[in-house]
Amino acid sequence: MTLINRPPVAATPPILAQGAEATPSQRGFLRENPSIPWFLGLLTIFTLIVSVLSEGLGIGALSTSMVKILGMTLCLCLIAIAMDVVWGYCGILSLGHFAFFGLGGYAIGMWLMYARTEIVIRDSLAGAVLPPTEAELSEAVAAQIFGVVGSSELPLIWSFAHSLPAQLALVVLVPGLLALIFGWLAFRSRVTGVYLSILTQAMTLALALYLFQNDTGLRGNNGLSGLQNIPGLLDVPQAVLAVWFLWASALALGLGYLLFAWVVSGKFGSVIRAIRDNEARVRFLGYNVEGYKLFVFTLTAIVSAIAGALYYPQAGIINPAELAPIASIYLAVWVAIGGRGRLYGAVIGAATVSLLSSWLTGGGAPNIEIGAFRLLWSDWWLVFLGLGFVAVTLFFPKGIGGLFDKLVRKQP
Amino acid sequence: MMTLLEVRDVSVSFDGFRAINNLSLSIGEPELRAVIGPNGAGKTTFMDIVTGKTRPDSGQVLWGERQIDLLRLSESQIARAGIGRKFQKPTVFEDQSVRANLSMAVRNKRGPFAVLIWRATAQDHQRIAELAEEIGLTDRLDDRAGDLSHGQKQWLEIGMLLAQDPRLLLVDEPAAGMTPSEREHTTDLLKRAAKTRAVMVIEHDMEFIRRLDCRVTVLHEGSVLAEGSLDHVTKNQQVIDVYLGR
Repeated sequence: MTLINRPPVAATPPILAQGAEATPSQRGFLRENPSIPWFLGLLTIFTLIVSVLSEGLGIGALSTSMVKILGMTLCLCLIAIAMDVVWGYCGILSLGHFAFFGLGGYAIGMWLMYARTEIVIRDSLAGAVLPPTEAELSEAVAAQIFGVVGSSELPLIWSFAHSLPAQLALVVLVPGLLALIFGWLAFRSRVTGVYLSILTQAMTLALALYLFQNDTGLRGNNGLSGLQNIPGLLDVPQAVLAVWFLWASALALGLGYLLFAWVVSGKFGSVIRAIRDNEARVRFLGYNVEGYKLFVFTLTAIVSAIAGALYYPQAGIINPAELAPIASIYLAVWVAIGGRGRLYGAVIGAATVSLLSSWLTGGGAPNIEIGAFRLLWSDWWLVFLGLGFVAVTLFFPKGIGGLFDKLVRKQP
Repeated sequence: MMTLLEVRDVSVSFDGFRAINNLSLSIGEPELRAVIGPNGAGKTTFMDIVTGKTRPDSGQVLWGERQIDLLRLSESQIARAGIGRKFQKPTVFEDQSVRANLSMAVRNKRGPFAVLIWRATAQDHQRIAELAEEIGLTDRLDDRAGDLSHGQKQWLEIGMLLAQDPRLLLVDEPAAGMTPSEREHTTDLLKRAAKTRAVMVIEHDMEFIRRLDCRVTVLHEGSVLAEGSLDHVTKNQQVIDVYLGR
């Protein structure tokens, strides 16, 4: 029997007719992932509708701030699918992915702030008798940006802030390297489960506390502001910019969805789900589990950073509070509510919870009077979110996405 | 027959308890070997040491022609070097299809980048079809492994082990929970596999071992008590005292 005798692979057997048809991995990528055309279709329709309703390019039914909120929500959906891949598929409950999101925001924010300040100062010095030298200009920019923390020198980490390509590279490189080093240290020591979660919380907390200091070169608790003004596009009204950013965010989300759907399908997806379920067994199959975890952790960190780099120009401001541990915990809650282990689940969870949150805490929802008691949504929202989280965990362990599966009845 | 695996003077203690005590044994290629011993004799710990799960306090584990020290390798490196292991309890990936389980085990490149761009070739499909036939799961290839019966899970795990194409198979109680006809099938398969590989079977069931018809190593308190044919070791007074005569 060829099967038992080594080496069986050496013989080139004829192709079996039954093996050549109806095997999942030979079907098309899209047919294997029916959620992709649906998702991309709905995302396109959503983007078109918002554009048509927008103030900037359409009939004006949606305010610019609403368009921005929707664009930011798309960025949150992108980090949510990254979280789903690292947690739902690979089983690493990272409670620090918002640190990468924030770092991406800081990296792009440095260029936005520097380049815009430079333009402002150039304009104000335009009337001077002698045109300013580059050194004078740089000094003036530094004084303008860092006056608020009592400094007038440009810190070393701002060395590339004048260059958009350099800062765009840093959006990917800084969080990527941090994830690579952190992950390498943690996974190599076989830190898993709740200990790893605590470690990631410590990472994001440490980073936030570090950034809170005034002398770290990122303006301490003031953070970076005015990020909604895009240098080179200062003449474009915010209403139009908001739509452009919505498009960019939708494009990033669509591409991110495709990328992760490709990553989690096929054998790689099999291996990381196997790692989630029984990593010791995967080792005995000859797979280097740590390498896979590091790959997934770093890739999702980079995508999170890209999401952050698109989010903060729409938010207009970033400060160290954005990297607080609680942000990453919310991220896990979104994914759990939406449904782990299915990419559209993460999108549903992030969109639903973050939009509800901004509606209820932004004063959009009417407060409820119950006799003498007045239910203020801004106070009670978190309580309801917590209860909702508990309810989902108890009654729908597969989240909202799991309900979808029941309707569609898809194959395991 | 050359020596494939040589374990030399290996000792390991857990909290002062000597699970393995100056254990030395070797297995050739090809060879079929049964390992028996009472509970706590160190059978599973021995497998843990060979597969890299447990690090011994002292001793050497040498592998293959080049006498590689396995104690320096990680679990996954040892598996790639050619040692496959079947656990006592069937451990398959229940959430995934039988096909996905086999596909992960089939010998191929194991690095993350290689696996990411890997797509099944006709040869891979052929191999999976063959394996499925061998383990009697052809019509269940696209079912969840978790939906299989206990015996079928055992078979799937044996199939995954064969898919890895190892030089040494470590098999921990393969017949547990199997029906008599399944046991017979298992013995046949192990005997056939041992024609070209080294196969080491841990088993309690004497009838099963008799059918394997091979050299037997008796472990007791972490070291080898006796070695030889089944008839030879069952006549050994020490063996009778510690294991058989209770």
